[in-house]
Amino acid sequence: MQKVLGDFIHALRQAGLPISSAETLDALKAAQLTGIENGPLLRQALGMTLSKRLEHRLIHDQMFDQYFNAYEHLEQSDDPNLSASDKPQPAGRPEAAPATVDNRAAADAAGAINSPLARQLSPLAQQLMGGDMSAMQVMIASAGTGAGAQQITFNTQIPVVTYRVMQALGGSELQQDLAAMAKDDENSALVQLLRQRRTQLQQQIRDYVEQQYLLFNQNEALRLREDKLQKIRLTNIDLSNYKLMGELVRKAAKRLASMHSRRRRMTRRGLLDVRRTIAANAAYDGFLFHTKWKSTRIERPEVIVICDVSGSVSQVARFLLLFLYCLQDVLPRVRSFVFSSEMAEVTELFASKDMDEALADVLKRWGNAPTHYGKALADFEQMALTDIDNKTTVIMLGDARNNNEDGNIPVWQKVYRQSQRVLWLNPEGSLSWDTGDSIMNQYAPYCSHIETCNSLRDLNRILGSELKRNT
Amino acid sequence: MIIRNKDKIHSPDTIKQHFEGLGYICSDAIATSVYLACHLQKPILVEGPPGVGKTELAKKASELLSAPLIRMQCYEGLDEAKALYEWKYGKQLLYTQLLKDQLGDVMRGAKGLDESVTRLHQFGDIFYSDEFLEPRPLLEALRAEDGAILLIDEIDKADQEFEAFLLELLSDYQISIPELGTIKAKSSPIVFLTSNNTRELSDALKRRCLHLYIPFPCKEIEQKIITAQVPELNEQLKQQLVAFIGELRDMALKKVPAVSETIDWARALLLLNVDNLDHDWIKNTLNLLLKFQDDIEAVEPEINNLLKAVAKQV
Repeated sequence: MQKVLGDFIHALRQAGLPISSAETLDALKAAQLTGIENGPLLRQALGMTLSKRLEHRLIHDQMFDQYFNAYEHLEQSDDPNLSASDKPQPAGRPEAAPATVDNRAAADAAGAINSPLARQLSPLAQQLMGGDMSAMQVMIASAGTGAGAQQITFNTQIPVVTYRVMQALGGSELQQDLAAMAKDDENSALVQLLRQRRTQLQQQIRDYVEQQYLLFNQNEALRLREDKLQKIRLTNIDLSNYKLMGELVRKAAKRLASMHSRRRRMTRRGLLDVRRTIAANAAYDGFLFHTKWKSTRIERPEVIVICDVSGSVSQVARFLLLFLYCLQDVLPRVRSFVFSSEMAEVTELFASKDMDEALADVLKRWGNAPTHYGKALADFEQMALTDIDNKTTVIMLGDARNNNEDGNIPVWQKVYRQSQRVLWLNPEGSLSWDTGDSIMNQYAPYCSHIETCNSLRDLNRILGSELKRNT
Repeated sequence: MIIRNKDKIHSPDTIKQHFEGLGYICSDAIATSVYLACHLQKPILVEGPPGVGKTELAKKASELLSAPLIRMQCYEGLDEAKALYEWKYGKQLLYTQLLKDQLGDVMRGAKGLDESVTRLHQFGDIFYSDEFLEPRPLLEALRAEDGAILLIDEIDKADQEFEAFLLELLSDYQISIPELGTIKAKSSPIVFLTSNNTRELSDALKRRCLHLYIPFPCKEIEQKIITAQVPELNEQLKQQLVAFIGELRDMALKKVPAVSETIDWARALLLLNVDNLDHDWIKNTLNLLLKFQDDIEAVEPEINNLLKAVAKQV
């Protein structure tokens, strides 16, 4: 049982569930309690001990069905094979017709096993004639481990590994034997049987390899892709990866938010709060029993994000917006603005609509127009400047390409003065700043921090460190 | 506690039956979780939408095992002094005042400061002994002679520091008090933690618990629940009611009606002598089910459509 559960847990880990060894022990204990005969009960018991989140639970249940069905299927599939070759089929049953052929062949073969010819055959051929399929299964499993069935990353590797397993079991010798025997007509029954069994065996190996792939490494390919997407430049990601990227962004935003959304209190031990101490101890006749200490409460960060959605950043804007949307979903105090030439607040829009709809809406209404930072900032001054105070972080996502218009720098200067911090994330590399119509240099003095941000990893790192500093 | 109730908890099915006897209709998953919690001595973390009977589960478990239920409601700012123990400052103060004369007697004749202090030390830490200890829920649960059910309600509302503080209790059923040393549970309590998911709980906490997610019940179970809670309601109305609630849960509402609201509604309909669900009754009693004006406004024009859908199902 330990081996079965151990493999199952390994498969779950591959599917992305964080299972600790303590939980593994719990699962073993639970399984001992419930026994493994009662499927639904075992499923619940393992689910409770191994998955600690609803989404993990769903994965677990799916994997459980896959894994244990496959397991049962293996055990059952042995039986029909055995009965087909070893036990005589009752005559007169309609479906028995092909089986009887098989039986006769088997009988012939049984006669042939002891013939001098059979003794010269390869071990695999002898085993196939013996028809002990459960022993075959064990051999497949051990050969499979050798051939790396559990390390398959892409499903295109399945045929290769299947072939390798077949070779490891002695496929080529079998082929030679078959070729040798086919020359002699006397052996035709035996050859036919062996061919049939070989096809069966191949199917069995393929099933085994596929199942291993599904259990252990199905998610490996996905993980590789995710890893790549993290590093790749946002401008180079095509739309086909958009959905996966959306998931990634959402994950990243959620992680950031769960790390930073709680309010923390920091006690400055050593500073006695005299007023509160006296008040708290009035009941004790002025004896100072309870000491109260001064502490500072750190507020949750208040963030204003401004996102450029104009034509020049259209490739990146999609992802920035996605991130913005997710951030607002998880951080309570984020206000979002978008602009090309006119600025608009989209906080409400994001809150009321679901992701795809909201993004499409934003890009349709404000996107892909020519940029005018000056005008946008003037709008921003009207809408939000009064709300910026020394707790606010302002984040600008944009390339500062202003089509040679006036940049309205004084407004940005005011924003900088009033807020706690101004962060400018530019999707272009620092070498292309100030080339062409970019006026990054004019805004630069009024930013606490300027960063190049053109991959999801960048975005994650920058916002993570900023939020950390903020709290 | 476990041994005493061995026959009641020897399998998930018996637990389920006993719960039903107590008027708590539960799914297999819930029964299994209680079974595992009792036998593995592990806390259960119960999650799910509000109003599906998370707190009720703990109450019924205490009835089932005839053990006292010790409940601790969590909130932001909850700390050790309110959750674990506190010294009875007032009593300490009063006693020192009353015993002033006694102390004088004890000290009489002592030569020099050294001797006085030595004499004082002979009496031990009287003022930091059990008599001056005010046990709070956690300590109470550990000290219960015969085991207890400890319900830590809405753990997600407490601070993260408090969550970390709970870890020792949850894994070893013991707790350290600086003045008294480590206190170990006399008989391990069965701990239920409930969470409404307002924030993500730490992995360390989750690792120590069994995880139980209670979703909205399926139709059959919900009908059984109503039969158990409001037995007088007639069969047809009950089916209509459950089907209607099911339809409401499929709508995009701010807060969908939970089981507790279904029960309230069933009671109200019984009180009003309704025997067939129609448009007017629903409209008049909708505020029992929906707690936001926006939701009520969204549902009201849809009532006829919903009723048609219900008629198809019943």
